[in-house]
Amino acid sequence: MKNPFEQVKGYSEIREDIAALTRYGEDFRDTRGVVNASVDLYHPKKLNLTVSEIIGETPRTKTLRLISDTGYLPPFQAGQYVNLFVETKGIRSSRPYSIASPPNQRAYYDLTIKAVPDGFVSDFLLEDIMIGDQLESTGPMGGFFHNPLVHSDDVVYVAGGSGITPMMSMIREATDRGLDRNIHLLYGSRNTGDIIYKEELERLMATHENLTVDFVISEPDDGYQGLTGFIDGQLLKERVGDLSKKTFFLCGPEAMYKFCQRELQNLRLRCKQIRVEIFGPPGNVTEEPGWPEGLNSEVTFKVKVSNGRTLEVTAGEPLMCGLERQQLELPAACRSGECSYCRVKLVSGKIFHAAGTKLRKSDLQFNYIHPCMAYPLEDLEILL
Amino acid sequence: MGDFDAVVIGAGNGGLTAAATLAKSGVKTLLLEQHNVPGGCATSFVRGRFEFEVALHQLSGVGCEDKPGPMRGLFEKLGVLDKLEFVEEHDIYRTWVPGQLDVTLPADRNGAIEALVTRFPSEEEGIKQLFGLIYQFAQDMFKGVVGRDPDFNAAKYPALCNYALRDSESVMSEFITDPLLKLTIASYWAYIGQPPKTMSFLDLALLLFVYIEFKPYHLKGGSQALSQALLESFLDAGGTARFSCGAEKIVVEKGSVQAVITDQGDEIKTAYVVSNASLVTTYMDMIGSDSLPEKVLSALRPRTIGPSAITTYCGLDCDPADIGIQVSSTFASTTGNVETMIGWQHSFDKPEGLELTCYDLADPEFSPPGTCQVSLINISYADHWLKLPPESYHETKYEYASHMLDIADSMHPGFRNALEEVEVSTPLTHMNYLRTPGGAIYGFDQFAKDNNMFSSHRSPLEGLYHAGVWTGTGGFQPSLESGVQAAKAVIRSIQ
Repeated sequence: MKNPFEQVKGYSEIREDIAALTRYGEDFRDTRGVVNASVDLYHPKKLNLTVSEIIGETPRTKTLRLISDTGYLPPFQAGQYVNLFVETKGIRSSRPYSIASPPNQRAYYDLTIKAVPDGFVSDFLLEDIMIGDQLESTGPMGGFFHNPLVHSDDVVYVAGGSGITPMMSMIREATDRGLDRNIHLLYGSRNTGDIIYKEELERLMATHENLTVDFVISEPDDGYQGLTGFIDGQLLKERVGDLSKKTFFLCGPEAMYKFCQRELQNLRLRCKQIRVEIFGPPGNVTEEPGWPEGLNSEVTFKVKVSNGRTLEVTAGEPLMCGLERQQLELPAACRSGECSYCRVKLVSGKIFHAAGTKLRKSDLQFNYIHPCMAYPLEDLEILL
Repeated sequence: MGDFDAVVIGAGNGGLTAAATLAKSGVKTLLLEQHNVPGGCATSFVRGRFEFEVALHQLSGVGCEDKPGPMRGLFEKLGVLDKLEFVEEHDIYRTWVPGQLDVTLPADRNGAIEALVTRFPSEEEGIKQLFGLIYQFAQDMFKGVVGRDPDFNAAKYPALCNYALRDSESVMSEFITDPLLKLTIASYWAYIGQPPKTMSFLDLALLLFVYIEFKPYHLKGGSQALSQALLESFLDAGGTARFSCGAEKIVVEKGSVQAVITDQGDEIKTAYVVSNASLVTTYMDMIGSDSLPEKVLSALRPRTIGPSAITTYCGLDCDPADIGIQVSSTFASTTGNVETMIGWQHSFDKPEGLELTCYDLADPEFSPPGTCQVSLINISYADHWLKLPPESYHETKYEYASHMLDIADSMHPGFRNALEEVEVSTPLTHMNYLRTPGGAIYGFDQFAKDNNMFSSHRSPLEGLYHAGVWTGTGGFQPSLESGVQAAKAVIRSIQ
């Protein structure tokens, strides 16, 4: 059939234009590789890092100073993290760590690692890693940062233990750059020896009027003069005063942040005023609301994977960890149910998602799970 | 991974419909997607208590059950119709210029005319004639072109033959005079990024026609539900999908497709590739310019990379009514002057307008009770974003978004105060997730010369087919349809 469009007014004129442009238009050969190179400046698939310094912070905490093998590190927002991959005892795994250094310098990223009981990855990082060792990570990511479009410049940081690290990046940025921000940090530690960045925080407070730091000690030595106990609603009201215009940032170990989150919610603040950093899977999932009554965490189930393998996993451990133990690595970044990197389809069987897993509505409709926060309740089949 | 009859590269709208169509016809198909979630633009992300819709503003071509549009048939054939819940919107849009204009057009021919005549009574005659032309035009298109009339001629289809390739501004000027009236009727320009002076009348007429006649729709669960449903259909039909696994190379020998090499190093032998990646990426990066016939390079030369977008996704802790949002889609212009509005597609200058979509009006369950979700969008190119020093990126993005929020706040006082979650996507964001040059969301620029009538979907390389917006026009309906077309061509070739 004849092209009907030839009868459309202007058709032949446009054909002539196209013919001219065919000779003199763009040469797309120049664009080869441009997209990936542009994206890599912000979101590289992975970063190859070298440990340039190891800084002792407390008896149980060290800072790894990491430089990039290419000399370039992507920009980030104070409070964001990278997921650090390690291989130890024949198992490849990863853990997300907040960047503690401020974003206004990118010669290095500082990751501060605290020893945790049975810390598979933290033990390795604290005991085996030496200056000059190489590590691999994701690019910076995460939603725990000060968003100037929403958050007040009057901020209250509530930190516990190593939960200080994202706040430290924010404080360093604000003080380095002289940001117009009023910061009140309430930082809970077990005892004074556990306070990370203690001298630096005291020095910054002494030189910056807009920074207030309260150390709160839960197990003080006799005669300790400072604030003691847990950071609760009463203490927040006493120390901060009018809460109505503040934005609260909360990060700490599971028990601490869950407690503080409830305390903050009881203060009748708007949701937008409370930002809570995600903190990985719960320590003991059987204590989570909704966990099936009587199901022991030691029970094992079989997972059939679409490539034909069948693996054994335990009820009390996130599916992702169980699979990693058997050399089945899933894409991972937040390991807290948020980023959806590890998302897989559950073909059959039942799982339990720990609280805070951020699923899409269609994930529920079509049975997709986030294995980093999903616990097997039956034999499973998953599609990789 | 074994060998496949066909490999589909990219699980965007076009890739998903191509893959589902192929698998349903018994073609052994592998779908590769570099991201971890299917959909391309047709996706969502979660922040706090909100699941943000990324790209779908108004799904066109659905129609109702007794007056079905082309998309209903497509969804039915792909087996996803019963997995989706459609939400009809009753207005096509509101156009707003502070102190000068505030008109809402219902998705109904007479209602839209009435709304325009009420605001512009002296132009009643011209408005009616222009709508008459738009309808005549659409009829010509369906009868003459879609219906492949063997006796197609200019006398039989005058609206189509006289007006298709003219610019919308000059056609409107034949019937109406008030610039605000033209701005209202051509509001959809802001969606596609071509101002009325360069948008072909074909694009404007068909956009208005399909949205008025088949109504704008939204989906429960957002566009991610559609992507997921299409993927399910593909898997149910025996298809194999790999996520977080991109295509690195398409191996071409003697002008025909041999294999695809993934970014994980697997080589998959196949005679057919449907690429949902951009035409530029497919040819320059995956195939490589050395293996390209001159024909490919010369076909690309007249094209220019189209725009991307800046979207400010807002989760608000109030109901839409609390801040006076009564229409799902609003085109806002602070000056009423389209000319000056085009400049900010290429710069960080304060924008003079935006499109606002609120998802909770048609579907009150879209966001948690007592909240609502709004996206503010401006079409923008990537050039100036690519030149930005990376350390300035976040500040620049927030500053631009802040101007957008000011416009939203002046239109709906209290908007800023109600913000609970805000995420901003820029051309660089789209480049990251879509891997398109310039972060383009609609493929190449859509001037009259870039219309379907001048471009061929066929690649000169044997076994290579294209799905998505790079061989046609942008948007959900065209990209979903393109995948089906590409798959059908593959099936015909196999048979």
